[in-house]
Amino acid sequence: MAAEESVLETCKRRGISRRRFMEFCGTMAATLALPKAYSQTIAEALTQKRKPVLVWLEFQDCAGNTESMIRTTHPTVEDIVLETLSWEYHETIMAGYGKHAEAALERVVREEKGKYLVVVEGSIPTADDGVYCTIGGRTAMDIASKVCRGAAATIAVGACAWDGGLPKAGPNPTGAAGLHEAVPGINIVNLPGCPHNSVNTAAVLVHYLTFGVLPALDGEGRPLFAYGQLIHDQCERRAHYDAGRYVQAWGDEGHRKGWCLYKMGCKGPEANYNCPTVRWNGATSWPVKSGHGCIACASPRFWDTKSPFYERLPHPAGFGVDVTAGQIGWTVVAGVAAATAAHAVGHVVRDHFHPGNGDGSALETTLAEKQTTEVR
Amino acid sequence: MVSIVNPFVPRRHVAEGQEHLVPVYVWELPVRLAHWGIVAAVTVLTWTGLYLNHPFLIFPHKTAWTMGTVRFIHELAGFELIGALIVRFYWFFAGNHWARWRQFLPLTRRRWESLKAMVRYYTFQQRKPFEQIGHNTLAGLTYIIVYFMIACECVSGLVLFEAVEGSPVLKFFVGWIPPIIDIQWIRLVHFLFMFFLMAFFIHHVYSAVLVAITERNAEMESVFSGYKFVTDETIDEELEIAALEPRQLFGKRRIHRNRTWDR
Repeated sequence: MAAEESVLETCKRRGISRRRFMEFCGTMAATLALPKAYSQTIAEALTQKRKPVLVWLEFQDCAGNTESMIRTTHPTVEDIVLETLSWEYHETIMAGYGKHAEAALERVVREEKGKYLVVVEGSIPTADDGVYCTIGGRTAMDIASKVCRGAAATIAVGACAWDGGLPKAGPNPTGAAGLHEAVPGINIVNLPGCPHNSVNTAAVLVHYLTFGVLPALDGEGRPLFAYGQLIHDQCERRAHYDAGRYVQAWGDEGHRKGWCLYKMGCKGPEANYNCPTVRWNGATSWPVKSGHGCIACASPRFWDTKSPFYERLPHPAGFGVDVTAGQIGWTVVAGVAAATAAHAVGHVVRDHFHPGNGDGSALETTLAEKQTTEVR
Repeated sequence: MVSIVNPFVPRRHVAEGQEHLVPVYVWELPVRLAHWGIVAAVTVLTWTGLYLNHPFLIFPHKTAWTMGTVRFIHELAGFELIGALIVRFYWFFAGNHWARWRQFLPLTRRRWESLKAMVRYYTFQQRKPFEQIGHNTLAGLTYIIVYFMIACECVSGLVLFEAVEGSPVLKFFVGWIPPIIDIQWIRLVHFLFMFFLMAFFIHHVYSAVLVAITERNAEMESVFSGYKFVTDETIDEELEIAALEPRQLFGKRRIHRNRTWDR
């Protein structure tokens, strides 16, 4: 790749105007919640600096994050990021294959030690010595450990690379683990989501290229600019939630009017992500805007913890797959009510047939009699 | 013995023919306040909680603020419940003999007898319940579970509140919980315990009415007035046990018996 050509020149060659480039820098500053003046700083950083090398590793994945990164209808964010960095290895899009491809990766690890960036997609199997995912005869664990430990920074994209995602969902036969779990102690930023939003990933890369450090992270290792707020608090249907106007069934009046999807199992109230502001598909829409509830795809272990996706609460374990918490609760209440009623009837019947000491009042019983067993 | 002047004392509440029973000031004001505080809070929290889980009222007007209002009431009632629980927990250590934490456990032989007798009573093997001034042991053990569930409701409620409120103070106290137990499981526990408390409510009211009817000893009135009516023998036995107990954490032992009651 032509590492000497400046980003702006490359963009021009690809038909991306300077105006479009500046627009991108502005978008990045806004996504990172930086003041407007920083778009100039970002533009300078992207045009002056030498193109850093980037390698993209795929393990137990569906290539969904790659798709999210490269599939666009018009040249925007993704193209600029693609042009800003020198992509040396990416199985899905690179031309080379076999030994040559692996040699390219090895060359980066050897020659660019401590300078290159790694993007990891997919979880890493740990069961049975990691045999469930091997590339060129090497296990995912082996590759990830070597490549990530030599990198300047690692970006784990998608739910799988973050906390194991779908492969780690019960019963997890391959012992899948997220990257920070499988390869601890590396300089890592996690961009969970199923898939990641390429705008956020571009913003992390831009932040790193501009400031030389990774953005501020939360307790789960996710950048605060993208995962710092509840979806619920940024949702355009929030007013309907507070007002108490809910979709009751798919396609009903409320659904047609764009009411809140809370009763349809929307997990917006328990999910942190910036979907409502950054949106998808060229910032045109996002799931809730298009009429479907959030499934909390950027939340920890969401396949296990946030399902069923169309109900508010998980189903309690051990009662069969379709028994809800409400059914169990009401059954308990009804059971206790029935037992209580039966006990009351028992008292009436007992006192009717066995009136006890005369009229059964406390008058005739002394304390001593009262507190000795009266087996009947 | 100290006599307490209390305007709420139920002078006429002892039934005809029960005049031999002696009033004892059992439930001190903080106990009764905590009790009714918990009743009020749990009632409000249950209704609003059912709505929060499954909003059953839909007002399609533009000016409606149903969920916002219900959530606000739920949160207020939640903090009221926490307050009532703190009062009661404090009184486990500062209250009179019958409010202390020991009263909830079968720590004495008499309390073991009480446990066995109450099981026999509820299973129709014994006609009269065990006469006890404070809680009977079976009730005490039940209340331990109930207090545990209410405490869990308070903590899980604070976790859920913290998730929307983002308060650094709350985060300091309960922020460590969601990384260990996912927020959805916390929500599930919060929801299920509501039903268990509803079930307890049914059982609790029934048992209190049952004992009040059987014993005709103003059991139901005691939670308003604080006074229970018991026999002299029971008082003597309980005072004997109270004298044997280790010194309590704060305050003096406060056991009031009014023998010169205007019957």
